[in-house]
Order: sequence, then structure tokens, then C-alpha cells
Amino acid sequence: MNHLIHIELDRLEGSLLRILGLVERRGFNIDGAELYDLGEDKRGLSLTLRPREASRNLETLGLQIDRLYGIRRLSADPRGVTTSAIKNKVSA
Amino acid sequence: MSNQPTGAQLVISTLKALGVETVFGYPGGAIMPIYDALAGSGLKHILVRHEQGAAFAADAYARSTGGVGVCMATSGPGATNLITGIANAYMDSVPLVCITGQVATHLMGTDGFQEVDILGICLPIVKHSWLVRDAADIPAIIAEAFAIAVEGRPGPVLIDIPKDVAASKVEVSSVATFPTWTPPAADPKSIEAAAKMIEAAKQPLLYIGGGVEMANATQELRDFVARTGIPVVSTLKGLGTLPTTHDLALGMLGMHGTRAANTAVQETDLLIALGARFDDRATGKLNAFAPNAKVIHFDIDPAEINKLRHADVAVVGDLKAALKALNPKVSGIQKWVEKCKADKWEHRFKYNAPGKGVYAPGLLKSLSEKAGDKFVAACDVGQHQMWVAQHCEFAHNRGHLTSGGSGAMGYGLPAGVGAKLARPDHHVVTISGDGSFMMNIQEMATLNRYNIPLKIVLLDNSSLGLVRQWQELFYQENYSEIDLSDNPDFVEVAKAFGLSAFRITHRHEVEGALDKLLAAEGPTLLHVLIDPRENVWPLVPPGASNAEMMEERWDEPLDSY
Repeated sequence: MNHLIHIELDRLEGSLLRILGLVERRGFNIDGAELYDLGEDKRGLSLTLRPREASRNLETLGLQIDRLYGIRRLSADPRGVTTSAIKNKVSA
Repeated sequence: MSNQPTGAQLVISTLKALGVETVFGYPGGAIMPIYDALAGSGLKHILVRHEQGAAFAADAYARSTGGVGVCMATSGPGATNLITGIANAYMDSVPLVCITGQVATHLMGTDGFQEVDILGICLPIVKHSWLVRDAADIPAIIAEAFAIAVEGRPGPVLIDIPKDVAASKVEVSSVATFPTWTPPAADPKSIEAAAKMIEAAKQPLLYIGGGVEMANATQELRDFVARTGIPVVSTLKGLGTLPTTHDLALGMLGMHGTRAANTAVQETDLLIALGARFDDRATGKLNAFAPNAKVIHFDIDPAEINKLRHADVAVVGDLKAALKALNPKVSGIQKWVEKCKADKWEHRFKYNAPGKGVYAPGLLKSLSEKAGDKFVAACDVGQHQMWVAQHCEFAHNRGHLTSGGSGAMGYGLPAGVGAKLARPDHHVVTISGDGSFMMNIQEMATLNRYNIPLKIVLLDNSSLGLVRQWQELFYQENYSEIDLSDNPDFVEVAKAFGLSAFRITHRHEVEGALDKLLAAEGPTLLHVLIDPRENVWPLVPPGASNAEMMEERWDEPLDSY
């Protein structure tokens, strides 16, 4: 099942690589990626993800992304699976 | 103008301002401005003989003191040589600040001499990393690096500083101060839910990891055990948090765990995980682990909750405060506790191994008892590491330094260097094997240079013992590339490095040798020849449930060891 997630991140050295590498390493294929500008110090990244095996869950991935430094917001597309981890981040 | 500091001087002055006393490192081209600023600065620098040794020594320095370890290396190969140490600190959540030189900014991306993208290479194994573009940022970046290394779940960070940035002069008014970090409090409702679940349990069990000591919650854990009487199993990294001699300490769980610990985990109806992460070496076959248990999971890292095992109650936040607040009225568990204690007694380790050769488990137990409360073991990786975990007595968690998550051979000797510098009044003993020891053998030169009175017990079975054991048991005795019988004469090698060294080959020599080793003044190596056929028992075969332990049986126990 595909997930679509949105991340807002600070413009830090290696920040895109950190996210893309983490997602791949934690067992998800990246089927689509879109980067957009959110001003001088911030960028947006939308990723379409597919777990390589059923045991990989989006909630854990969301928490692992959130553990990176410079993540401002993290949300899941309402049409996809929304996890409580990602919801919490949005409301925080 | 000439009074303006360089970036390199800011590195040194900021480290000193943050209270750093000792750094481990190795100079080279791209980091020369920083070494130029280091000379005469009053900051103590330990020159290792390989950058991996710097990272491991800094790691052990941090583990021993509860502070932050600092290491430095130059660009390219200097930086890549740190990687195993950085990965090790990442896997074991050790706060480590690594500073690397980088080629000058205009050369970056041109395949310059000794250029490597160390920031890129280390992305998966650091909490965070920086490439410094402006020397004026250095105090703020270093202060932030220390903050990130210690906050939440600790870990390594990397600061890569191009040579021209380090050499450039800057006007800086701010001085970095050591950031204080207060762990967020756990939700009181989750603590209440945990208490209720504990009260309802008939066979509760504590499963403690390295996170308890890291949360500075060791005393709270001991108090909790005292007031509830709940038995305890420990991960490799959790050993000593509850003294290993405590009657409710059932020992280590998992692949080389004790029968009592693994049986308790299989039978418990409530597993209370404290700062532990359900690692595969602890759980064995995951879906057969604690099959009858509900789980309460205490952790500072929310990403560990539900990662491998569903938590019925999660308590995320400050463990120290949470344990103080956790006050369940525990009753009716006496039968369970007695059963756990009976298992512990029945399956206790025995030391009456047949033969006259040195029995390593017995030697290690005796060593830890002789060294007492001030014993610090800096372990390498392999059979001897598991024997230390099984047989040594630890009164404190910080007395057991071991490469847990990463299992990095070569950790033991540089870790001993870092630990002995951090705890000069302790009996710091590197316990190594002949395979591991050769991986960082050059650090004996560091012992000699600084006259660090580290003691080394080298258990030599002339082979890669743990690999050999697996080939024997699981690869039909197809022994592949495990023979090290052409090892050098380790006593002569140690002497050539300026250490004292001696050798034993028989069991009757053990007690005298250990006394001599612990009483020795300078760095000293005890070379112990052991039987290459000796295995680590018990053992849970790979992929099996922890209930399926293989154990050694001696047919005719000889005289007591």
C-alpha cells in the first residue's frame, strides 16, 4: 500500500539526503518525490512510499523521520493511511 | 586585526569553555590549523596510533564518566578510519563529538587530495552533522553538537571543518556555554496505567537495558526492585545496573543468556522494558519472545515504541522521574519470584570444568571478584565478551564497557585507554581475544607513551572462537578461515611496545597471575592460553526461540575450580 507524506524541513547541510536515506534504509521504496520552496530557510518535500515488507509500518518511520534535526512539520495525506505519530506532529 | 581568533582557535577555546578536558585524535593535512591551535592550549590531547582507536577511546571515556567523548581526525582516510567508532557509538547510544578536518572549500567536490564526503558517508550513523561554512558559526555549532549528543537518546555527532574555514580569522563575541538538557516528563496517565497493569500481573518481569543508567535512573531502578520484589533480566548493556550479585538479578537474557533469564521471559505475563530495545540478540525469534506477556515499554526515544514489539503501555520520557512515580501495590507474586530464584540456583554456572587448562569463565569470575567494586571491564568482541557478560560480577553499569549493538572487534584496547584515563582510580582491565586484540594492537603504543596503567587479559585460543563455534554447531564443522595459530608471540609483542607481559597456560597459575596483574604498576598484559575447542554456553541457535537453549553438560565434574 502506498503512503503519501509531506515534510517541511529546514535548509540544513545534507537534510534531503538524511530523509531520503533514512526512508530507504528503514525499508521503504520511494516511488515519487517532489521538492518545493517554502522560503529562505525552509523547504517542503512530498514522498510517495511503499513498504518493502508488511512488517514495516509508517508510524515507526514517521517517528524516525521526526528524530532528525530540522524537521518542522510532518503529515500524511488524508487519502493515505494517517498514523498517530504523524498526526501528533501536525498538532504539536 | 591580529587579535581576532581563527576558526581553529575557536574550536579549541569552545571545547575548553564547554569543560572538555581530554580529546583523542590524530593529526593530518586538512586538520593542521586545529592542531596548530591545540599546541600549548592546555587542552589534553591523547595521540592514538589509528583514528579508530581515537573514536573507541572517546566512546569509552564517555561511557565511563557519563560525559561526552571527543575525537578528532583529518580528512579522507583519517575521517573514514573514525567510522567504525562512530557507528559503534550510534548503535550503543553513546554521546560522542567527532571533529574532522576537510579539504579547503574551493577543493571540495573536485576529488582533492584526501577528500572524502565524510558528512555524506556518516549520515546513517550520526544523530546530526555539520559542515562548517563560516568560522563565525563554530562556537554555536560546537555547543549545539554537545547538546544534541546528550539530549534524548544520546549518540554521536560529526563536525566537518574545511581547512580554509579553520584558518580564517573571525570576529566573535559570543562564548558557547554548556547547554543543559532536561528530559521531558512522561505522561502521568501512562505511569498510572503502568502501575495498574503491574498490580494485575501474576508473573511480572523487569527487562532492563543500557538506557536505565543513561537516564541516571540506576538508584530509582534499585529502589523500585527493592519495594516491589519483581525479578530482573538484563540486556548486555544493562548488566550491573542492578548489581549482578543481587538475588533478584536473573542475569542476561537472549542468545547467550542464562537459563533462568530466558525461562522467566518465556513465562512472564508482564514484561516491563526499561531503556531496552528488543534487539534480536536479546529476543531470539521475535514472535516467540515473551509469548504470554503484555508489555510496558519505558523509553526516552518514541521511535523505539512498537518498533519491534507492540507495547500495551508506553511511558515515553524521563525514566528517573517515572520510576520514582511508579508505585504499584504488588502482591501475590511470591510463588513466581521463588520459581525464578529456584531456576537461577538450579541453572547457576558451574566452574568445575574438566581438565587442567585455564577455564576462561572461572578466570573471569575470579578477576571481577578480586577487582571488586572498582572493576571496569573494557571488552572486545567474541567468546570472551560473552564470558565476561555471563561470569563477571558488576556492581555498577559503567563498569562494563562493551560493544553491544555494533559488535566491533578492536573495541577493547582503545576502550581501555579511554576508560583508564577517565577512571584512574579504578581497576580497568581490557579483556580481549587474539582475534580482536590484533585489530587495534597498535594502541599499546598509546599505553606506553602516556604510561597508562591499563591491565590486559588476552584470552588466546588461536582462532576466531565465536565463528569457529558457529561453524562447529551450524555449518557441519566446515571450519573456514578461523585458524589464527600463526599469531605472533603476544608477550614479546607487548614487551616490544614497552609493556610488562607474562603468560599462563594452566589452571593452577590463574589466581597468582590475577593477583600479580592487578598489583602491577604500569601497563601490563596477561597472556592466557586456552583450549580452542571451548564454546560459549548456553546458546540459543540463530532464528530459534529463547526457549530452545543449547547447554553444555560435563559428564564427570572434577574437583571444584
